[in-house]
Amino acid sequence: MRSVKEVSVAIIGGGPAGLAAAVRLYDKGIKDIVILEREKMPGGILRQCIHDGFGLTRFKETLSGPEYAQRFIDMAEERKIPYITDTTVLEITPDRKIYAASKNGILEIQAKAVILAMGCRERTRGAISIPGERPSGVYTAGVAQSYINLYNKMVGKEVVILGSGDIGMIMARRLTLEGAHVQAVFEIQPYSSGLPRNVEQCLRDYNIPLYLSHTVTDILGKERLEGVVVSRVDEHMQPIPGTEKTYTCDTLILSVGLIPENELSIGAGVTLDGRSKGAVVDENYQTDIEGIFAAGNVLHVHDLVDFVSREAESLADAVAAYIENGELRKCSLEVETDTNITHTIPQKISGEKSFLLSMRVRQPMKNCEIVISQGGQIIKKKNFKKALPAEMIQIPIDAEKLNSSENLEVSAIC
Amino acid sequence: MEQYDITIIGAGVVGCAVAREISRFQLRTVVLEKDMDVACGNSSRNTGMLHAGFTYAPGSLKAECTVEGNQEFDQVAKELDVPFKRTGKLVIGFNETDRANILKFKKIGEINGVKGMRMINREEMDKIDPNAGGEFAMYVPSSGILDPMQYTIALAENACSNGVKFRFGSKVEKILREGDTYRILTSSGEFRTKWVINCAGMYASQISEQLGYPNYPVRGFKGEYYVLDKKAGKNMPIPIYPAPNEKGGFATHATPTVDGNVLVGPDSYLTDEPEDYKTTKEHMDGLYRDGLKMFSEMKREYFIRNFAGIRWKIYNPSTGENQDFVLESDDAHPHTVNLVGIESPGITCALPLGRRAAAIIKEKEQPDNNPSFNPCRKGIRRFSEMSPEEKIHAVAENPDYGEIVCRCETVTRAEILTAIHNPLGVHTVTGIKNRTRATMGRCQGGYCETRITEMIEKELGISETDVRYSKAGSYMFTGKVR
Amino acid sequence: MLREFICIMCPQGCALQAEEENGKVLEVSGNTCPRGKEYAIQEITAPMRNIATSVKVENGELPLASVRLTGPIPKSKIFRAMDEIRKIYVKAPVKTGDIVIENLLGTGESVIITKTIHKI
Repeated sequence: MRSVKEVSVAIIGGGPAGLAAAVRLYDKGIKDIVILEREKMPGGILRQCIHDGFGLTRFKETLSGPEYAQRFIDMAEERKIPYITDTTVLEITPDRKIYAASKNGILEIQAKAVILAMGCRERTRGAISIPGERPSGVYTAGVAQSYINLYNKMVGKEVVILGSGDIGMIMARRLTLEGAHVQAVFEIQPYSSGLPRNVEQCLRDYNIPLYLSHTVTDILGKERLEGVVVSRVDEHMQPIPGTEKTYTCDTLILSVGLIPENELSIGAGVTLDGRSKGAVVDENYQTDIEGIFAAGNVLHVHDLVDFVSREAESLADAVAAYIENGELRKCSLEVETDTNITHTIPQKISGEKSFLLSMRVRQPMKNCEIVISQGGQIIKKKNFKKALPAEMIQIPIDAEKLNSSENLEVSAIC
Repeated sequence: MEQYDITIIGAGVVGCAVAREISRFQLRTVVLEKDMDVACGNSSRNTGMLHAGFTYAPGSLKAECTVEGNQEFDQVAKELDVPFKRTGKLVIGFNETDRANILKFKKIGEINGVKGMRMINREEMDKIDPNAGGEFAMYVPSSGILDPMQYTIALAENACSNGVKFRFGSKVEKILREGDTYRILTSSGEFRTKWVINCAGMYASQISEQLGYPNYPVRGFKGEYYVLDKKAGKNMPIPIYPAPNEKGGFATHATPTVDGNVLVGPDSYLTDEPEDYKTTKEHMDGLYRDGLKMFSEMKREYFIRNFAGIRWKIYNPSTGENQDFVLESDDAHPHTVNLVGIESPGITCALPLGRRAAAIIKEKEQPDNNPSFNPCRKGIRRFSEMSPEEKIHAVAENPDYGEIVCRCETVTRAEILTAIHNPLGVHTVTGIKNRTRATMGRCQGGYCETRITEMIEKELGISETDVRYSKAGSYMFTGKVR
Repeated sequence: MLREFICIMCPQGCALQAEEENGKVLEVSGNTCPRGKEYAIQEITAPMRNIATSVKVENGELPLASVRLTGPIPKSKIFRAMDEIRKIYVKAPVKTGDIVIENLLGTGESVIITKTIHKI
């Protein structure tokens, strides 16, 4: 039967962003909420991230992914926040109606506010156009992680990894601990795309070489993977002829980037930022569709879950204000960047509210300075001994320093 | 040893169409296929066009079968429940050379019996597709797009429900003439049969030789493709082809698929290896460059996948000219039908060729009609194509329709389960994909592949080491972690 | 001798330099907090690591329960620790924090469950 439900806030996704937003909303007095989760259990991607190192900032201890998720699940359950699992949202309309499918039927929800917290997906072989045959044995790092940590299936024995994303390096260690032989990690960029600590504790600890400026240029094997050809690349990331080397292996793991999962957002009419691949949001994490908000990896890919939960909490504060007042301050000022910065969150501000500015640099920089200004007037400067694309930079901006008439300019200067 | 009246070698679209047409008669028929599913070769590696027939030489078997196959396809798609749209096609031109070439083939089309082709101006083009380039075009209303995997599966399932057996993993190694029958040695055992029908695609010349026919010289014209996201296909209602060259060849083009994706390609180059399906950087780069020139949505963020297919054409070594399809049967080679060089437009021609092959057997054997023959077959009911009301009813009737397994393509557990228990007994991951579209979307199985492999194991009661991606040796797991 | 490595104590990943002589650390630089110095000294004298893996679960809603160590153990014992953990299987239900091996290889650290698994 068709069941229509009305709620103040519907949260799409029960991962760390969705759970953190729900808990904060509840504590702010917004209790009429529902979390929609497509998996059997809440927790999102953390359920398969069994390695430790989560929660250092928030909990002052180092937890595994499932433990970190459990902290938030426990908080949600203590508050009796309803979450509906095994339910996939099919559509969100611009007027915040949600259609979702589950074994119990098609659920229809009308929400005053919708929080997009769907996380991200992995880039695939097709997305980066790796040539060659199409055998089995080519897995993205997250899929391999899911098979090994959730499904109890071992994906292979002789492994090559393309891409030095954090999950790729973590899988290098994970596979090694489970008896596979990881021959090498290849990275097309001249620098690691994951955190330096993961290079240290996942690769160096296990004598797994990391080759920078290298990529896979051919995939061999018509049935199961038999090998990969790896080439060195030039400064334009084009393979250099004559540098090909064949590695015999039965498994290729791809860790070549994450993309915010915004199919539902697009359906709702939300405008995306071509740089972050997530929604364009203002200082309230509100998208350009009123009442639809976004935080976490669906907005921009994070490297630390503590940043995700913190962002979701800031979002929840704004959503609570939105529910109470029926609207939020208009944000018409743009956040502009120079070419050293890939993107910022938020992209729009009012100039009248303090906010946290998140950004990434395009390439590694040493002894650089992030300068934030408005109409030539410097608002804030921050020095960095090193700035890496792998590390998100976050700088709090104080409303008192801002004016409400000029765009904000962000630049990274060496 | 299994015994049959008819043995069809090859479960591509042609073999399956022949099987379906022979299933109209009371004949014990088997299809031998070396791979683990139907359509593992070039039947699944093409543009999925229902061709009209304006580029083939008048009087050729190709021209005759194309026009016949095109005209009947609305009926065929309905009977076999195959995703199909008669979109029409625009062949666009910019200059007088283009116009001359287009008009040349319009005339050939008219001789071949292609109906409704007409030249249109820019104004009329705007009504059909404002995004189409070009100053003028030939509008070919009879062209269409279909899902070639679904079509081959549909033919096979229909043949199967009408009594034809399918033996996968049965590579033909030797064919021996013994008295009035043939003994066929395969990788899965021996088969005795009265008739042999050669539908072996890229290996058809070898089988032809084993049957005593010529080992026809063939050349492989390989083409690579990009598959683009459905976002790129939103504004593409109709296939747009550039004006052909004077030989009737088309440069790289972009074609919508019946599911809403876009194919960019194929390009064309020669290959010697029968199953040289690897994609290459050189050609992918070329497709990207050419694609950018003619298709504004050729964006890297829309890239989903690449694939390659090969058109194995018979040619005359002394003139270098490509030849027509071969369909032959004579008393010097008793109880055989030989189909060689069936390449593009093989999908469009499959049923007409099947009908001709069946007619040869009918004439010789005078078989009784199959009293239980049913020309209709139902495909898997797709949740994504249901109306909101239908979705509610579907979930109420079968709760598995409420569990979305593949997020990108909105494929439900009910559909995957039906696919796993398909009548042909195929259970590769690729087989499930081709039957449901699960894993075909932009995340390429990132979300659903783990679920599908788990369902295959549980439903069939097999261990993880027995799960196959596509081919016999394409194992996915080396064992359990614990 | 100058040794260089990346601190793994937090995501900041400071590039540490340590001056070492005969296994003794004379000076540490590059660290932004005291934990970095501790780490550098430990890394040179007796490197320690934590590991995470899974144990088999019977009758659980999932086939595996993830586990980790309560604290780091000598790096040289990692593969022996894996051998010990591999021998373990548990029966559902198990709860986050349940101890499955106490005092692993005499290190004083335990192996604990990190994911609650209900019984089916």
